[in-house]
Amino acid sequence: MDNNVLPAIDVDRLEVSYGSQQVLHGVSLSVAPGEFIAILGSSGCGKTTLLRTIAGFQKAAGGAIRLFGRDVVNVPPEKRGMAMMFQSYALWPHMTVLGNVGYGLKLRGVPKSEIHKRVASILKMLNLSGLENRKVTNLSGGQRQRVALGRALAIEPEILLLDEPLSNLDAKVRIQLRSEIKSLQARLGFTAIHVTHDREEAMTMADRIVVMDAGHIVQVGPPKDVYDRPNSPFVASFMGAENTIDLEVHSSGQDVEIRTRDGLSTPFVGQIPMGSLTAYFRDDAASLHDPDARVAGSIILPGTITQRTYPGGHYRYVVAIGDRHFTVTDDEYHALERPVGLRLPVASLHLFPSDHPQGGIHA
Amino acid sequence: MARPSFLGLLLIAPALVMIGVLFLYPLGFSLSSAFTGADGRFSLGSFHKAYELYSTDILFTLFIVIVSTLLTGVLSIAIAGILTLSETPWLIAVLRNLYRWPLFIPFIVAAQCMRTFLAKNGLMNNSLVALGLMEPIQATSFLDWRGIIITFVWKQVPFVTLMLAGAMASIDRATIEAGRNLGASRLRVLIELVLPQVAQTLLVGLVLSFVTMLSVLSVPMMVAGSQPTMLTVDMAFRINSYGDYATANALGVISYVIAGAVAWIYLRHNVKREAQI
Repeated sequence: MDNNVLPAIDVDRLEVSYGSQQVLHGVSLSVAPGEFIAILGSSGCGKTTLLRTIAGFQKAAGGAIRLFGRDVVNVPPEKRGMAMMFQSYALWPHMTVLGNVGYGLKLRGVPKSEIHKRVASILKMLNLSGLENRKVTNLSGGQRQRVALGRALAIEPEILLLDEPLSNLDAKVRIQLRSEIKSLQARLGFTAIHVTHDREEAMTMADRIVVMDAGHIVQVGPPKDVYDRPNSPFVASFMGAENTIDLEVHSSGQDVEIRTRDGLSTPFVGQIPMGSLTAYFRDDAASLHDPDARVAGSIILPGTITQRTYPGGHYRYVVAIGDRHFTVTDDEYHALERPVGLRLPVASLHLFPSDHPQGGIHA
Repeated sequence: MARPSFLGLLLIAPALVMIGVLFLYPLGFSLSSAFTGADGRFSLGSFHKAYELYSTDILFTLFIVIVSTLLTGVLSIAIAGILTLSETPWLIAVLRNLYRWPLFIPFIVAAQCMRTFLAKNGLMNNSLVALGLMEPIQATSFLDWRGIIITFVWKQVPFVTLMLAGAMASIDRATIEAGRNLGASRLRVLIELVLPQVAQTLLVGLVLSFVTMLSVLSVPMMVAGSQPTMLTVDMAFRINSYGDYATANALGVISYVIAGAVAWIYLRHNVKREAQI
């Protein structure tokens, strides 16, 4: 079998049900060897179910899962040859660090002295040297998850499954481990599937992002593609474009005319879909100007600032336009209650045909 | 400070009185009676007599209770393990609904059931003969030490399983999945990963079972013949037939010592565990 040709993981029209409730509706996904995939979605979208079905902890109701061409749908989890990291670390509290990390090797009949040697080198790689005989219950959260990572990597798996392993850690340790996992993956070359609901985590770690919603995969692509060109309102708002505004686009002569619900009209030259649209935009896509400014290629909406926060690096404002509220980031300090123009560059709006009228902050 | 402590004492007084009247006084009385000779002085005569007459029964009692405890442990681990790790829903459902029944049956009823079940022409042998698995001539009565052990195990397995299955259900499920994910079979997961996490509960269950079985009178009396038999039967016999409280109390003290030894093993294990944490 040639591993370079066959996908490491090939999920084919996978269906999973909990009793009568179907959780995955024919999910298909192909992961190349050495690829890092992040599955992103809100809770209950089926992302963890997908991962657990790949690992074998959840039975499939239909479809196939092939690992390097071998169908494993009916193979028990212990025979699938993958490693997994869990949100709760899932370390065995009655064992030492050595016992935990070396357990997979012990199962494979590796002699004791060899286990010692290999565990030592793994602990060195994870900056845990010298902790072999420490009880895992005496370690910090970050150390515990490192031990769990070492336990998973000790068996030199071809596939590593990560079930939100960083979400119990504090922010600093999380970012540190994020880059450690990423660089280990680059060095050791395993294929990884990482389930997370943290968009930034998915973006920074993955080669490709898979966005799931209600048991379906809704978009797959490199982080930048999914971020810049979401293919649905769901993906747009999930990727942070949480402001929405309804627009009417008509042709007027050679140009097009963009009209808001308030009747404000802006001429525009360029490619744009026609008809009733909903625009999704991130708070950093918009900026603050004078209410009566005119900027080519941008819609300017007059409004007032109702709230200002400073999250660091820039200010975040809530701007009221009519009865709707939008969030905007801007480098400049502006006074509250000040009339401003909210500038929306048309090119950075994600436009989708409106199915129902809405406006303001989406999420 | 004085008033609250007086009030506190008043609150626990009923409990203290109950313990004193119903437990400490009889215990002290039987202890002193065991060590008192016919002339009212300190004497080990009762123990000497107890040993002379009943040393076989002491060993028999130890044998029955230790074997029963071990078998109870093995069966409870098996049932709780299946309840925790099985992937066959109907098997789990059937086991879950069946295993608890003996909990609600008193020892004396269990003993009576076993008499009809294990006798030479009892339900078990008749069924085996009817199924063609055994010739009628081969049928033997199990109403001896085997009957006692079967009854004890049948009665105590549900209790230990109940504790053990509860403890297994409350460990982090991911620790089980992590083991299987790395390639451990379910049996290895049970023995190497699940059991060590619930060892404390298993130990408590087995210690309680041991002490319970040590003190049951009805089962050895009803299920097995008179020789050899368990210490409870001997104690009842000494009192009912001879009014010989001294020897009965000496046998009682020997029972205390056996139970105390088991409790000591449990406590020592507990202390060791706490020292580790």
